Amino acid sequence: MSLSNLINDWSKYRKGHEEGGYHEYEHMWGMSIDLNKCIGCNACSVACYAENNLAVVGKDKFEKGQGMHWLRVERYWDEPDLGEGRVNEFQQHGASFLPMMCQQCNAATCEPVCPVAATYHTPDGLNAQVYNRCIGSRYCSNNCPFRLRYFNFWSYYEDSWPAPLHMQLNPDLSVRDKGVMEKCTFCVQRIRTVKDTARMEDRSVRDGEVQTACAQTCPTGAIVFGDMLGMFNPESGVGETKVTKMWRKHQVELGKTKQNKRTPDMRGYRVFEFLNTDPCVMYLDRVREV
Amino acid sequence: MGWGGVGATLAGCDLPTTVTLEEGKEKVVSYLIPEEYVIPGVGVWYASTCQQCPSGCGIHGRVREGRVLKLEGNPASSINKGRLCQMGQAGLQAHYNPDRLSTPKVRRGTSMVDVSWEEAYGLIAEKTANISGSKFAWVTGSVSGHQSVLLQAHLDSIGSGNHFVHESINNAVWSKVSEDMLGVSNPRLRLDKAQSVLSFGADFLGTWTSPLHFSTEYAKFRTSPRGTLIQVEPSMSLTGANADLWIASKPGTEGALALGIANQLVSKHGMSMSRLSASVQTLIRSYTAEETQTVTGVSAEQVAKIASTLKERAPSLVVAGGSAEGQEHGYQNVAAAMALNIILGNVGKTIQSNGEFAYASMAPVKGNNQSLVAFAQAAADSRFDVVFFSGTNPVYTAPKALGLKESMHNIPFKVVFSHFNDETTAMADVILPLATGPEDWGTHVAPYQAGRGEISIQQPLMEPLSKETRGFGDIVLTLLKKRKEEAYEGFADYYAYLRNAFSTIPDEHKDGANDEEFWANVLAKGLVDVGVKKASLKVKAVAFDMPKDLGNSSSMVLAPSPRLGFWDGRHANLPWLQEAPDQISKVVWDSWAEIHPSTAKKLGVKEGDMVKIASAQGDLNVKVYVYKGVHPDVIAVPLGQGHHAGFSRYAKDRGVNSLSILDPKVDKMTGELALYSTNVKVTKAAKSDDVLVRFGGSETQVGRKLVSTVPADVYERTEGGDHVA
Repeated sequence: MSLSNLINDWSKYRKGHEEGGYHEYEHMWGMSIDLNKCIGCNACSVACYAENNLAVVGKDKFEKGQGMHWLRVERYWDEPDLGEGRVNEFQQHGASFLPMMCQQCNAATCEPVCPVAATYHTPDGLNAQVYNRCIGSRYCSNNCPFRLRYFNFWSYYEDSWPAPLHMQLNPDLSVRDKGVMEKCTFCVQRIRTVKDTARMEDRSVRDGEVQTACAQTCPTGAIVFGDMLGMFNPESGVGETKVTKMWRKHQVELGKTKQNKRTPDMRGYRVFEFLNTDPCVMYLDRVREV
Repeated sequence: MGWGGVGATLAGCDLPTTVTLEEGKEKVVSYLIPEEYVIPGVGVWYASTCQQCPSGCGIHGRVREGRVLKLEGNPASSINKGRLCQMGQAGLQAHYNPDRLSTPKVRRGTSMVDVSWEEAYGLIAEKTANISGSKFAWVTGSVSGHQSVLLQAHLDSIGSGNHFVHESINNAVWSKVSEDMLGVSNPRLRLDKAQSVLSFGADFLGTWTSPLHFSTEYAKFRTSPRGTLIQVEPSMSLTGANADLWIASKPGTEGALALGIANQLVSKHGMSMSRLSASVQTLIRSYTAEETQTVTGVSAEQVAKIASTLKERAPSLVVAGGSAEGQEHGYQNVAAAMALNIILGNVGKTIQSNGEFAYASMAPVKGNNQSLVAFAQAAADSRFDVVFFSGTNPVYTAPKALGLKESMHNIPFKVVFSHFNDETTAMADVILPLATGPEDWGTHVAPYQAGRGEISIQQPLMEPLSKETRGFGDIVLTLLKKRKEEAYEGFADYYAYLRNAFSTIPDEHKDGANDEEFWANVLAKGLVDVGVKKASLKVKAVAFDMPKDLGNSSSMVLAPSPRLGFWDGRHANLPWLQEAPDQISKVVWDSWAEIHPSTAKKLGVKEGDMVKIASAQGDLNVKVYVYKGVHPDVIAVPLGQGHHAGFSRYAKDRGVNSLSILDPKVDKMTGELALYSTNVKVTKAAKSDDVLVRFGGSETQVGRKLVSTVPADVYERTEGGDHVA
């Protein structure tokens, strides 16, 4: 193994998404989050707790950074220093809110480092996490630039759902045990159910038929979810969905190492685009009257 | 129980036919021949109504194998249009809470002992047998629909007119001002039509009037042509966090600022104030830009800028609530804001009429704080022998200065209907354990509906978790039967009562369906719209003044800001909401005090340090969060924690209750508690071992492009004319 081979292989891997990466996609689930509409209310996050059996860890463990919020709403204040010694007395433009869940990267940095292939890319374009294959090395979490993977340091099922709270647990997915990594799945159990129904009815999945818990509950409709395979692969037969329209309108393309916007002012962007992980979540700029 | 659970009602049948795992072990085997609608592994959605706050949103509950697993908004509801907030999502944890009450209890000396329902009913019958109406009272939260009808019937059966309806978080002053100045108490606010919104303390995205409804309208407001939001308040609310311009005026000066803006509109922009009373016109003339700056602390340029924004971005909308209402001159503050609407010509454009709900007996009875003050006074005067409490926890929400906890002892017999042990049940003589929203029948008429008259149905989503809990309607019906057997004997239970009521609904609401079809349709859709009576707006020239000495105080003021989360403290027992970071401070599992960096510097404290907040009524020790979203003269301690009566394992002995140390001041015009007018002394206190835990490592983006922001004009240039939702 020569150094040049190594570099070539690495470079090829890092740009693999440009060639489509996985070539037999059935779907390419993606999202658009409009920060002009997001009000930071946290409904999405609690909906995620309800849908995905997320453990409540308590104050002490939360302090250690062990909260299991697959979807978290980050809040940032404007930079306090305006330069030249000028400082605003107040946060006069309010806060900046950012709902963050697994970005479902198509060139995911978490995937290649898993020693047991517990995290891998599915034909649905998802970063899957196979719980019963995971050995808890936590390499994936270490490698995720967004810090969106959550590790079960404890057997939370022992005290997170005292009876009868456990009766609320969603039987469509498991409760994870100590030593396992977990993260947002784009509500894969909902995707599974809809795909099964469509197959039984001998038809394809309709746009809007799958809703993630966060998108469904969002009070302002800031989160749009859907299949983007039509954008990624026009021959796939998946037409223009609501989410693809958003991506096209805002001129963000999947499978591009560098975006080339015709109208640079269109609001679409992906967080840490320069890291080249090709996320399937597009954000739209927050807007403020200045 | 006579009602048949969700399945039976869906089939339009009165007899109990539902078979679930919970019903009885011997029936588990019946899944071999399941009911036709029960398919193991397949979730079915049923419509109901959310009970987490008084807004009355429609919900869908996912039911699988006899359990409700997830709640979503009901798309048919005009209130929330298929959406749900975090309190609504967490409704499941109120239902499945491990600390729910499960048996009736009766006081024996200092302890409460479990009794049967017969015994509890017997005791109540004995105590109310010969009671005179004036000695009896109900204290409840907001109530509507058939629960309201039965409750009124119960009061009538005793000959009592004493019904205290209490909600700590309300818009009572706004309602009163609207009634006085516009002729309707519940005007329709067209956020979707407004091009600019100026809000004085009204947290309409979080806690004011109908937050989820306004959130859906906000999305339209922010779609091109994008509306501008200006928020004025002493500490940042969720709405303030989304404002284009957030302004902290000196505590209590919201109305003065409104008058200053009115002055600019009249003097600089030539707008007419002829529809206002002469005294108000004089008042407005006195609030020049300079005078306004002196009183409010908001710069004259900023006052001018707000005025020109409202003028240019027409139609505008001005609303007021929260901190503007919570003053001794709260009425004047809100009236000044309403005067702006009149000057700006918003009445009829962005302020319209919602009409009035057509069936008065079912119409929503909205709670307020004036009734809490009145009840505390009546209790202190030993006016009552028997009081029933339901859907409210006044011993927690009443400031200590009202003396309610002490005067509760003057009431010889207190019956508390509750899901949980709380501060009020701790003083009860009888505790009646209630069924939760997902277990109970009911009908609800939301207090704020955008021109609709929807009756939202609450149907059980599953069998009760405990055999010994009862629905509110069932209990009141039983009590009524004990008083007026002949009038109510035909109704086996509350379900039968409701079912009968829907049979007698006028045919015009049935859309041509027969009785059974109509009932099935109502259950499937979750609501029926019975329309509204027209009510039109009439602008009236109302005189009001503004206190002269505003903005002079050098004392700190306590702001007990409410949050979409714990609400008035009722949701502190829900672990999802305890672990959900506060939207603004991102604190979890705790109380905190928000202070401005300049105040923190003066006090010599930094984040996580403890301060002592002392009012004339008592003091609180609480950890601080330092940021620039609070006025330097204000210390804000958001509501919700500080429960001490074993209010579940999750809320117990956690944080402080900022309502407790408020002065018993009231708005002089309406009698509403002046929640934002308590002067406090803040000093550094000894650091606690208990740390302030917050989510997030960094307060700023440190130059990273995580949340990118563009100016509104860029947005209009690229996306103008676009109305895609």
